[in-house]
Amino acid sequence: MKLAAALALLAALAAQPAKPKPIWARNNPLPTGFNPGEAFPTIALPSAVDGRPTSVAEFRGKKLIVNIFASW
Amino acid sequence: MPVWHAALEPFEKAGKVAVVAVVQDQHPDRARLFLQWKRVGWPVLADSLDLLNLDTVPLTVAVDEYGIVRFTELPMSATKTIGETFIDQTYPKPASLPPIDRGRFETFTTWTMAIEAFERDVQRNPNDGPAQFRLGSAYRARYDSRERRTTDFADAERHWTRALDIDPNRYIWRRRVQQYGPRMAEPYAFFDWIRDARQELAARGETPVPLAVEPGDSEFEKPDPRALAKAPAAEPDPRGRIRRDAGEFIGIDATAVPAVPNAGDTVRVHVTFRPNAATKAHWNNTAEPLVYWMTPPSGVTVASRAVVAPNAAAEVSLETRTIDYDVTLPASAAGRVTIPGYALYYVCEDVNGVCMYRRHDVTVTIPVKH
Repeated sequence: MKLAAALALLAALAAQPAKPKPIWARNNPLPTGFNPGEAFPTIALPSAVDGRPTSVAEFRGKKLIVNIFASW
Repeated sequence: MPVWHAALEPFEKAGKVAVVAVVQDQHPDRARLFLQWKRVGWPVLADSLDLLNLDTVPLTVAVDEYGIVRFTELPMSATKTIGETFIDQTYPKPASLPPIDRGRFETFTTWTMAIEAFERDVQRNPNDGPAQFRLGSAYRARYDSRERRTTDFADAERHWTRALDIDPNRYIWRRRVQQYGPRMAEPYAFFDWIRDARQELAARGETPVPLAVEPGDSEFEKPDPRALAKAPAAEPDPRGRIRRDAGEFIGIDATAVPAVPNAGDTVRVHVTFRPNAATKAHWNNTAEPLVYWMTPPSGVTVASRAVVAPNAAAEVSLETRTIDYDVTLPASAAGRVTIPGYALYYVCEDVNGVCMYRRHDVTVTIPVKH
C-alpha cells in the first residue's frame, strides 16, 4: 500500500509542469564583447581603490581572467 | 571564488595570467572588503553604472593577450587545468585591436555633471533602459557624496524603477531596486556577510576596508540585534518636553522607496541623520543611541514604533547615521499619507563643546498613486 502511494506521488510529481525559470536567469544573449572571438569591451572603468580610470585593454600582452561579480 | 583563486594563483605568480575583478555594486568598497576577507588581492574596477551593459552576474571571462574573449566561463575541469585549456594556448594576433574607450565618463569631474549628461540621454529617449539605470546610479552616488541633494535618493529609485520597467530581465537592475526597497517576502541576504567578514578580519589582526556608506537595515536579511535590543517599548517623550534641534546640530532627510506607492503597498522609509559641519556637531557615543519614534495614523502599520541607530565604537564620531523601516499603507490610502515622528539623540557642539540631548521632529510624507 505504501509502495502504491509512493508511486502515485512520483507520478503526480512527474506530471507537474517544469518549474518556471527565475526571471533573472541568463535568458538574454550576452552583449557584444563577451562572446568568444569578440574583443572584450575596452571602456575605462574607475578603480575601486583610487578612482583612476582603467581599461581592461591595459592588461594586453598577458592572458587575463575578468571576474565580474557583485558582493551581494 | 576561492576555488578559482587557488587554481589561478600559481599562474599569476608565474606571470602568465592576470586577474581583474569588475564589481557591479552601487558601493564598490563593499566588494573590496569582500575580497580582503577572502584574501584575494586582484585589482578591482567599479561598474556601478553598468557601463558593460550586462544583465546578470557573476560572469567570468577568459581574454587572450590581444584582448579577444576566448571563454565565458573558466575553462577548467577534473581532467584539464586552466593552463592546458587556456593559459598555455597560442592564439593568433588579430589584424587590428580596438583602442581604449575613454568614453565621455572620464570627462565628468562631479556627479552633477554626470547626472546632467545622463538626464539629456533620458530626455532624448525615455525608453532607453541603460540610460535610466545609469542616471539612477549617478543620483544615488551623488546622494552619498558631498554634492548631495536631499531628493537624490528618491530620484535614483525613480530612474532604477523606470529602467526595470523597460527591461524586467535585468537582474542587476532588479537587485539595485530591491536593495533599498521594502523587506522582501523571502528576505535576501544582500550584505549579511559584512558582519562575518569584519569579525574574521579583526580576529586575523587586519583592519577591514572602511565603507563609505554602511548598509542599511533593508540590505540585511536579519535586522541588527543590537538595535532591536535597545528599542524602547513606550514613547520616550510623549509630552514633547525635550528641547528641539531644528537642524543646527543634526540634519535629517527621509526618502520612501518606492516614492509613489499604490494603496495597500509596503514602502521602505529611509531616514538619514548628518552632523552639521557648520556647528562642528558630533555624536556623543558615551550615552544612549539615537532613537526614532513614530506615530503612524490609523490603518498604517509598522513592525515597531521605535527604531534605533546604534552608536559608533569611538566616544565621539561624525558619521552619517541611517535607519530604515517598512510601512504598510491601508488599501483605502489616498492622497498623501503622513507619519509624524521624532528622533532623540545625544549630540555635542564643537570640539570639547557642550553635549546635549535633543529632539528633532520629522514628518514622513508618502504620496499615494492615484
